[in-house]
Amino acid sequence: MDLAEIDGVICSDYDEVIPTDLAHSLGLDGITYWGTVGSAGAAPCAMIGHAMAAIIAGMASNVLVFRALNGRSGPRFGAASPSAPAKACGGNGTYDEFISPYGLLVPGQMWALIARRHMIEYGSTAADRGAIALACRRHANANPAAMMYGRPLTMDAYLGSRMLTDPLRINDYSLESDGACAVVVTSAERADDCPQPTVLIRAVAQGTTSEAQPGNFYAAVLRPAVLEQPSRRVAELLYRRAGLGPGDIDIAQFYDCFTISVMIQLEDYGFCARGEGGAFASSGALEPGGRLPITTAGGNLSEAYIHGMTHVLEGVRQMRGTSTSQVAGAETCLVTSAIPTPTSALILRAS
Amino acid sequence: MRPVPVVDDRDTGPFWRAALNGSIAICVCNQCGEALHLPKAYCHHCGSWDINWRQVAGKGKLYSWTVVRLQVHPAFPVPYAIVVVDLDEAPGVRLLGYLDGDPHLTAGQPMQAYMENIADVTLPNWKPN
Repeated sequence: MDLAEIDGVICSDYDEVIPTDLAHSLGLDGITYWGTVGSAGAAPCAMIGHAMAAIIAGMASNVLVFRALNGRSGPRFGAASPSAPAKACGGNGTYDEFISPYGLLVPGQMWALIARRHMIEYGSTAADRGAIALACRRHANANPAAMMYGRPLTMDAYLGSRMLTDPLRINDYSLESDGACAVVVTSAERADDCPQPTVLIRAVAQGTTSEAQPGNFYAAVLRPAVLEQPSRRVAELLYRRAGLGPGDIDIAQFYDCFTISVMIQLEDYGFCARGEGGAFASSGALEPGGRLPITTAGGNLSEAYIHGMTHVLEGVRQMRGTSTSQVAGAETCLVTSAIPTPTSALILRAS
Repeated sequence: MRPVPVVDDRDTGPFWRAALNGSIAICVCNQCGEALHLPKAYCHHCGSWDINWRQVAGKGKLYSWTVVRLQVHPAFPVPYAIVVVDLDEAPGVRLLGYLDGDPHLTAGQPMQAYMENIADVTLPNWKPN
């Protein structure tokens, strides 16, 4: 496919590059469809869905879906912005007045509160979270493009690593990365004419909750339920649309901003019972040859943090048979985007 | 400087006015009685716009907490704890609190609200009872 055939562009609401910027940079002269999809890390699977919908509706033929991020050299998501002395926080539907004055300022603090609650209600442990961190790292160690390539992680090293927001350690946190990636969504017929094997989109789903979901998303810890996320209802809709269930999924590219977010998604996407995400992670299921290989390029935790678009790319590689941690005979791959925001997910199929 | 809340927002202002009087008030629907937390002007449970504020005792149980060891803001030197407190008189309605240092905390332990003055704002905060 030539660049000139791209007639649609979808970007993330958090991207600094908007579709017209990309058209200018690449010399795309025939853009007739564009869109901006949110929110943040919850967007990538939904972005693929928007491209798919546009193609089915006849609004576009070949849609470029991208995410570009300078999360290391540019603004850092993990850094709080010191408020100007005279400026009060919150109001206007942000609800930040209930959050920032108490020192809850960055995602790792919110996820620590959720992880603690999971420990209280279900008895999950640091070693359970470690099993998730180690699975991602092992895959990164097989992926020369991963930031953590060549840096193995043992359970002892995980358990001894620096505590940042107790109970979360540095190895429970995602990386900070500069990078960009993109996929082209087109019709199955057009894809079959391309040199690379076609990967089919079996289903896409988006879902939210009626609970407060303001811009900084930390109010998610004040929802009535913090251990069941919008991923629960997205999973139900996704499986229904796909005509598949968790038992049919060979690989899962879980959005892993923190280890605990993977643990909750293991439950929400039905791979184990509610409350058993920790035990499932520690059962060997995520080991090579286990029931459910996860984030097979290394994920946000160990490959790079490009807000979940890398998870889509790795799903495509697995379905083409080109992953650095290829799962033999895999026919289906689940890809998820961020929680606790409204979220999205998709299922890919090998053709 | 420690972040201070906006206290005159249309939806959340009454919470801060109650705090100024030393009490905690939660937003409730006058028609169906459901708590609306975080506060808003419309009840999605029954469709009513008839919203009121109910004063509740400043007592709760510790729902979750984190001890922050990585400093990210000049006004919050580490270590400190962020606590999530479930209100005794409105289970499921939760508020955050801040504790200096590295306190010994236990899930479900009783927590007591107190009022803290920051600049010219009164902030409800929580400590172990």
